[in-house]
Amino acid sequence: MPIRSELKTLGRAPKVLLLGSGGLSIGQAGEFDYSGTQAVKALLEEGCEVILVNPNIATVQTNPEKNVKVYLYPVEADWVEKVIAAEHPDAIVAGFGGQTALNCLIELHDRNILAKYNVLNLGTSVATLKMTEDRDLFAHKMREIGMPVPSSKAVTTLVAAEKAAADIGYPVIVRAAYALGGLGSGFASNAKELASLVVPALANSPQVLIEKSLKGWKEVEYEVMRDGEGNIITICNMENFDPLGIHTGDSIVVCPSQTLSDDEYQILRNAAQQIVEACAIVGECNVQYALDPFSHQFFVIEINARLSRSSALASKASGYPIAYVAAKVVLGHDLLELINPVTGVTYAYFEPALDYVTIKVPRWDLVKFRGASRLLGSTMKSVGEIMAIGRSFPEAIQKAIRMVTEHGEGLSAFSQTSESELAAALANPTDTRFYAVLNALRHSWDIEKIHALTAIDKWFLANLREITTLEQRVSEAAGRTTHHGDDQAYLNAVFGELDAPMWRRLKSAGFGDEQIAALALKASTENSEKLTQKLSEKRVQIGSRVVRELRKQKGVVPLIKKIDTTAGEYPSPSNYLYMSYVGMFSDQLPDDGKKPIVVLGSGAYRIGTSVEFDWCAVSCSRELQKAGWRSVIINCNPETVSTDYNSSDRLYFEEMTLERILDICEAEQPTGVIACMGGQLPNKLALPLAAAGVRLLGHSPETIDKAENRSLFSAILDKLGIDQPRWVAATSQADVEKFISEVGFPVLIRPSYVLSGAAMRVAFDSESLAQSLALAVDISTDYPVVISEFLLGAREIELDGVAKDGEILTAVVSEHIENAGVHSGDATMVVPAQRLYVETVRRVRAAARLIARGLNLNGPFNIQFLARQNHIKVIECNARAARSFPFVSKVVGLNLADAATASIIGNKPALLRFPEDDLPHVGVKAPMFSFTRLAGADPVLGVEMASTGEVGCIGRSFDEALLLSLEAAKCRRPKKGVLVSAGPESEKLKFLECASFFTKMQLPLYATAGTADYLEKHGFAVERLAWPAEGAEGGPVDVIRVIKEGLVDLVINVPKALHHQELSYGAQIRQAAVQFGCSLLTNMEATIAFAQALGRYPDFASSHEVIALPPYRS
Amino acid sequence: MSFKGPKDDRQQCTLMLSDGGRFTGDLIGAPLRASGQMVFTTGMVGYSEAMTDPSYFGQILVFTYPLIGNYGIPSLPRALELPIPHGFESDRVNAAAVILAIDSPEAFHWNSFQSLHTWLAQQGVPGIVGLDTRHLVHLIRQSPNLLGRVIPGESSGTRDYGPKLTAVASEGFFDPSQHDIVDAVSVKERRLLGKGKVRIGLVDCGVKWNIIRQLLERGCEVELLPWDTDLASVDCSAWLLSNGPGDPLRTGNLCNQVAQLIEGDRPILGICLGHQILALAAGAKTLRMQYGHRSHNQPVYQVNTRRGCITSQNHGYVVDEHSLPEAWEPWFRNANDQTIEGIRHKIKPFRSVQFHPEAAGGPRDTGWILDQFVNEVMT
Repeated sequence: MPIRSELKTLGRAPKVLLLGSGGLSIGQAGEFDYSGTQAVKALLEEGCEVILVNPNIATVQTNPEKNVKVYLYPVEADWVEKVIAAEHPDAIVAGFGGQTALNCLIELHDRNILAKYNVLNLGTSVATLKMTEDRDLFAHKMREIGMPVPSSKAVTTLVAAEKAAADIGYPVIVRAAYALGGLGSGFASNAKELASLVVPALANSPQVLIEKSLKGWKEVEYEVMRDGEGNIITICNMENFDPLGIHTGDSIVVCPSQTLSDDEYQILRNAAQQIVEACAIVGECNVQYALDPFSHQFFVIEINARLSRSSALASKASGYPIAYVAAKVVLGHDLLELINPVTGVTYAYFEPALDYVTIKVPRWDLVKFRGASRLLGSTMKSVGEIMAIGRSFPEAIQKAIRMVTEHGEGLSAFSQTSESELAAALANPTDTRFYAVLNALRHSWDIEKIHALTAIDKWFLANLREITTLEQRVSEAAGRTTHHGDDQAYLNAVFGELDAPMWRRLKSAGFGDEQIAALALKASTENSEKLTQKLSEKRVQIGSRVVRELRKQKGVVPLIKKIDTTAGEYPSPSNYLYMSYVGMFSDQLPDDGKKPIVVLGSGAYRIGTSVEFDWCAVSCSRELQKAGWRSVIINCNPETVSTDYNSSDRLYFEEMTLERILDICEAEQPTGVIACMGGQLPNKLALPLAAAGVRLLGHSPETIDKAENRSLFSAILDKLGIDQPRWVAATSQADVEKFISEVGFPVLIRPSYVLSGAAMRVAFDSESLAQSLALAVDISTDYPVVISEFLLGAREIELDGVAKDGEILTAVVSEHIENAGVHSGDATMVVPAQRLYVETVRRVRAAARLIARGLNLNGPFNIQFLARQNHIKVIECNARAARSFPFVSKVVGLNLADAATASIIGNKPALLRFPEDDLPHVGVKAPMFSFTRLAGADPVLGVEMASTGEVGCIGRSFDEALLLSLEAAKCRRPKKGVLVSAGPESEKLKFLECASFFTKMQLPLYATAGTADYLEKHGFAVERLAWPAEGAEGGPVDVIRVIKEGLVDLVINVPKALHHQELSYGAQIRQAAVQFGCSLLTNMEATIAFAQALGRYPDFASSHEVIALPPYRS
Repeated sequence: MSFKGPKDDRQQCTLMLSDGGRFTGDLIGAPLRASGQMVFTTGMVGYSEAMTDPSYFGQILVFTYPLIGNYGIPSLPRALELPIPHGFESDRVNAAAVILAIDSPEAFHWNSFQSLHTWLAQQGVPGIVGLDTRHLVHLIRQSPNLLGRVIPGESSGTRDYGPKLTAVASEGFFDPSQHDIVDAVSVKERRLLGKGKVRIGLVDCGVKWNIIRQLLERGCEVELLPWDTDLASVDCSAWLLSNGPGDPLRTGNLCNQVAQLIEGDRPILGICLGHQILALAAGAKTLRMQYGHRSHNQPVYQVNTRRGCITSQNHGYVVDEHSLPEAWEPWFRNANDQTIEGIRHKIKPFRSVQFHPEAAGGPRDTGWILDQFVNEVMT
């Protein structure tokens, strides 16, 4: 029971309102599913009833479980007030939903909503939160308790900013208040740079802080927890590999600190304790410092009085369940009475002792955002992260690079930079600077020189040098051996005599078997002119088997070590494991007498793989546990629920590589491996695993191959008589030309094993075709380029289901709102389908049945269709759980991942044949974009996926669900004006309908020349605008100015063609819209749906009555 | 083939355990044989402080944190001088030998003077790198008085344990608990340090320099007293009984002398071994613990409160709660195993703590105990 007397004396189960963080975006990602899910668990344990507001339908926390009522609504004060009015919660908890939840709490408090409904705020007080969020107040508070803060000034105008910067002295850092992930922040060395940061920052935030720049200082963080009694613990500290100047979300982070002495460690620890005490924090808090690399001087940079990305990382790095304990603390428990669930015998009041090193490496997908700047600075740009655990720095960093790049050769695969480019690559931090550091070491640059350019601590550089030195020795030794044409014989000759200590040295330094094989094979290729064959991934994989065998013959195998929070000081039943070559013995694991099944998680979140696959893996693991199996999860993503200590029976926080999965299978001897729940990465490993003798559960290797291999799949469709867009796997330019002459333009170009549309392009003419081909990997028989017919004006339909031995057990049909051409990950989806003919649905289902039989599907699957009238074509079939699984599962009330798991292990799931029939509501899923953070990127939808997350809401009608989900995705009802710039004639025509809606709503319309002409011709009053920078005195106003000055709050800009252009006028309009906080739509079908819904629900915000997500049907 | 480079050759070195275990790694430091009791610390920082801590005398210290030596070693003074430099707790490495997983051959920290390896070599102390330190912790926990010998492949002699013990320690396994080792680490002559309003008589059983630093910083002057000083001859305002190595029962006449002190009224603060000595002098008993406390993360709380502190600890003996005389009460307890972590006299100004309020290394949460002590002496 909660200890807080206000809740204790209720005489019934307290109702606690928990705020989530909404859709995943850069700076606010999966970590809040981890914290929210642990909070739910802790609250339920304390006998509370949980009311959760979070529109992120793909999360684990939004599972409508017993005593958890889920409201899929935007985390905004208006909607939360409605939930409060409907549910009358006793208390609110906001520390687990990131900045979004905190901002919402502050607003609820300021608008007296909490007082009105008598809702108690648990955790840190609003006054404290405001103080920590307002940089001036915070700086003042710090000075009051004698904590050094860099000199700074809060300003609200550009003029004031310029004066402040001049007073403090350039370079300065600009920070926007109340911003997640450092949005609108940056460094300025002069007044011009200052203005370029301050103007947009002030557009999004009432206040901006101008602060002294501490570039080059060490960046160190402490994770601290304080209970209501004033007991404070430091969970761990973390040190950034990259010095201050790069947002911590974009930094490689090492936990615990490696280069701090006891004095430094304790000085900063003490300061953190003083700060949380002075601020009277209750719960978790993160304190960030800048530490002078040449003295004990430090500055407090900021604190976050809530769970954060850093605290999620700290939790996974230390093994301490921070969010769970923090939730108990806000309910009034003190740390001295809570048991540390990881040891089971010690208390939550202690500080974890680590006996390993963890390294977090961010995952950027900047190449996916055309035009986005790759420079890193104080605005976060990464979309995900991984964490590697090792017992040496080289071991951990090498693991980390394999995890984040998903490349078996690890960091050795990135050794191309020429020496002449190094200095610049080192001096200007980008997403690839780390590789430049390694290349500099490979070019024998000394550590001093690299340090001078990067300010990276020399200790880290020396450790990296250990890696490049060993790399070089392997290459040199291999180069002395002659390759006679047979890889296996060659590798045997190179490594046959290698003794166990040398094997251990290589493996302790983190070298992977594939990496070792590739280094040797590359050395042979360089030395032999006879071997012109390209070093393919397959050849490396086969080579790695030789390396693996030779190494095992010498007895060199990885050890299993536990993370137990006490470095072995107390015996612990911990099931949190990692593998290392540094050591001699594996830890003893308790035998639970159960048969193990391994579930592969998702790896790093990235564009195309996000929290939805974690939901699948967690559902799968729980279902396995329920059925009496030992569920063994492998994953390396610290932002996930699947890597929680209580999501499985054994957790290997490990790399998802062939080598490591085989190691774990050798140790666990599982009944089988489930590779179909974690998305594309495990799916890609399925066939190599099967080839290495691992038993796959679910779809057979043949099925996976048939689904993934375009030629096989196409042949099966032909045999089944199912239509598909025409295509060719071109291995030469001649193939390409022949195909184009047959089908004409436009065509879609993509490589095999496509991941979220990477390098996918649409070509509309021979010029864009040539460009696209140049961007794709070089065409060859090893890497054919698939070119297919691109249908315009077709609807896109998806079918998600579960099959058993080729028979579909259940399947849900959903429909995209946008026409084909928008990546399915960026499309707005609706269940049940709204505009499809009954006959279309019948044909989709019939085709799906044939495909299931034809491929012999045996597990979760997803099929994508195109439809024009009632004619359907199949685009692709994924023989695995798909991104849409949690969305359709929650909308129809049937957990497809659970059902698929039950089916895979031979149980009969409780199923409904057509689950989307007879629903009391409609569900709409909308994509969530992060373009505000990606300077230079063109925010337009296309065949390449660009969304970083999604939201899903339900409503009593399609319109309700659409309005809610768009609002949750930051596309709001326009109140000031609408700007439209519709490229093609066809889109202008479609817009007419919307124009009348907007006019009826008395919203002024603004349009660029062509669109304005068209609208005027059709009788609409419209303000005509000039193209960017073409506005003239007395003439039409510049379109950008209208956006900047806030005359419009909805921008509709549909590009002329779906292919990417260079920085066109359209792109400038879209970027301005994003930068200045307008809602942006770039697709006309979505615009029409939005306008219709707005028109039909003019007072939606006031009239809508909230509905909770019904529990899963059983 | 071999990937060895020209400078990679380190001598092998073996750790032999009294339970028959035998592990071989690489030698760092001096090529000398050493033996002692196996202990560990789970602290993630503070290796130079730990190695020089006199409480580790006669012990082979295993670091569970695998990366040791990262920030190098500051410049070490030859003897205790004012101001006392940070980073060291005495003027020499007191641990008999050190065991680590990985060392850092180079150090780059601004305050580093040399690498761990060269320092250990200079100090005449052997170390082994490359052992499974986590596994050793498991072994140490399973047999509380595990002894070990460090045997380099080619050793040039035995580690120096001082004039009285070197001969004993060089033969087979050396169990420091069977010897009067406080004598080996205590100062040989009385010495007055600093200048202040009040003088603290600091009975040196192997005092950590940070206790002296902390007292000096608080405006005291400190008279450093050899452990066998006739305390009746000392003119001071209060007593501090220091930390130190070994079994509190082997501190000879010191307990009797302290028993005399508690007849009087001058404030007494005991730390670690000093705490055990005060308890013995008061008439309580001490016990050998099944599992010692050897880390920087030990949670303690003040009895009858909900207030805790995280403390630095290194001890294998504990005051037996049931033996505590009527006039005394438990002051602190360990939050995990509820053992006594501090006692105080119900009326008189006598108190002691099992943990290290002076920290170094480790958390500094309990510095207020020294504040309280000094305030009491000054008023």
